[in-house]
Amino acid sequence: MAGGPAANRIRKAIALVNSVADEAGDEEVTPTEIAEAIRDCLELSEVDEVPNVRRYLGEALDAVSDGMPADFVAMTLYAALGALREGGQN
Amino acid sequence: MPERHSTSVVFMFAGGSRLEDERLAGVSHFIEHLYFKGTRRRPSSKEIADAIEGVGGFINASTDKELTAYWARVPSEHTELGLDVLFDIVANSRLDPADVERERMVILEELRMYQDQPQDYVQNLFEELIWPGHPLGRDIAGTEESVSRLSRDDILEYADARYRLPNLVIGAAGSLDDDDTLALVSKGLSLREGLDGVLAALPPSPLDGPRVLIRRRETEQAHICLGARAFSYLHPDRYALDLLNTVLGEGMSSRLFLNIRERLGLAYDVHSFTQKHRDTGYLGVYIGVDPKKAVDAVNAAMAELRSLGESEVSADELARAKEFTKGRLRLELETTNGVAFWLTYQEVLLGEIKSIEEELALVDAVTAADVKRVADELLSGTMQMSVIGPFSRDSAFRLAIGA
Repeated sequence: MAGGPAANRIRKAIALVNSVADEAGDEEVTPTEIAEAIRDCLELSEVDEVPNVRRYLGEALDAVSDGMPADFVAMTLYAALGALREGGQN
Repeated sequence: MPERHSTSVVFMFAGGSRLEDERLAGVSHFIEHLYFKGTRRRPSSKEIADAIEGVGGFINASTDKELTAYWARVPSEHTELGLDVLFDIVANSRLDPADVERERMVILEELRMYQDQPQDYVQNLFEELIWPGHPLGRDIAGTEESVSRLSRDDILEYADARYRLPNLVIGAAGSLDDDDTLALVSKGLSLREGLDGVLAALPPSPLDGPRVLIRRRETEQAHICLGARAFSYLHPDRYALDLLNTVLGEGMSSRLFLNIRERLGLAYDVHSFTQKHRDTGYLGVYIGVDPKKAVDAVNAAMAELRSLGESEVSADELARAKEFTKGRLRLELETTNGVAFWLTYQEVLLGEIKSIEEELALVDAVTAADVKRVADELLSGTMQMSVIGPFSRDSAFRLAIGA
């Protein structure tokens, strides 16, 4: 699986969210850290090259702000990653 | 089929659940259950079962949206018995008040059981979206409210109106003599002839736009059904639709299976299917998936759908799909039951019977351009999607299908 910068940043955000979902981390990951990781993704112009990627990331950010479960945030990030894949960007 | 040892007999009544209004929702299915409870000559369900099972045979029934079928498969020397039991249950059932109440409880449990089977229930929800506010969008068994409300008088009245000769087609296949079978059928017919008015099957209204319906359940997997309205079984492109469906999601060599399960590892169960009725139908995709990968899997399925409208399937892929479709039809027709049902379905629903050679020729005549044209047409319709899983928000799902 190739990895452009956007795909790599989304994977990093997913890893953070999954550590919350799986309660696997030694240190507690805060919603602020997850939101920061998603904002890092949104900064890349690459996310505008494939339809819906920015919108999925926006949904993920909203979900974090609204206190939605980590699994739900992860689902939206996987959707963004998948959209990049379908668009041939990762 | 003189080489066979069995005969299958099918009694198929035109009608089914799409003719029921909201008050009578589930009455056809209720009647089907009650017809196995006892007749004047065979007063209990045990005696009905014993008559057929006593010779090693099988008897059963099913209610569909446009028909209800009662069938028996017996060793061929007992063809007369099979016909006699079926005539008995459709013409002489007692519909005892105590049986009505007992069966009501059974059907209510059946309805609740389906709700506990998300793989099936998600398809019911999908049909609610595809045919909103229409009997086709309702569970064949009705609703808990309608089944609780149906009175014995409702049931008697409906059975009397629908179980009449003009609505009945009898099919038989197996080791039987045509003339003898016709004589037995003529002797056994005792249903009333006329129909009290014709109940029209109203067509469903056009869809407003794409919609997502989420039923929140704390399931381990997300169960998703998505698709669009497609063709009726009378539509000239129905064979192209069937081949499109085969390429897309029938079997382990289909695009959905190879890409979503084998390549991406997103889902354990992913397949596509069609439903066809007299004036409408749909193409659907089912996905059973880790909730975290739910929207990703929907996007991947949508990409497969879109690709069918973007370029023609290869000659090899189309040839494989044709062989798959023709082979499945031939396998279905290996049993006497399969042949009896196939003939009877055609007569009830299409009003004519095609030979297997004619049917296979229509499959062979489909071109790659036909499949692409059909895919284009379906994708221009509005997508609908039902989801069962631990989701409290539908925004990402709506984004995936443009809703």
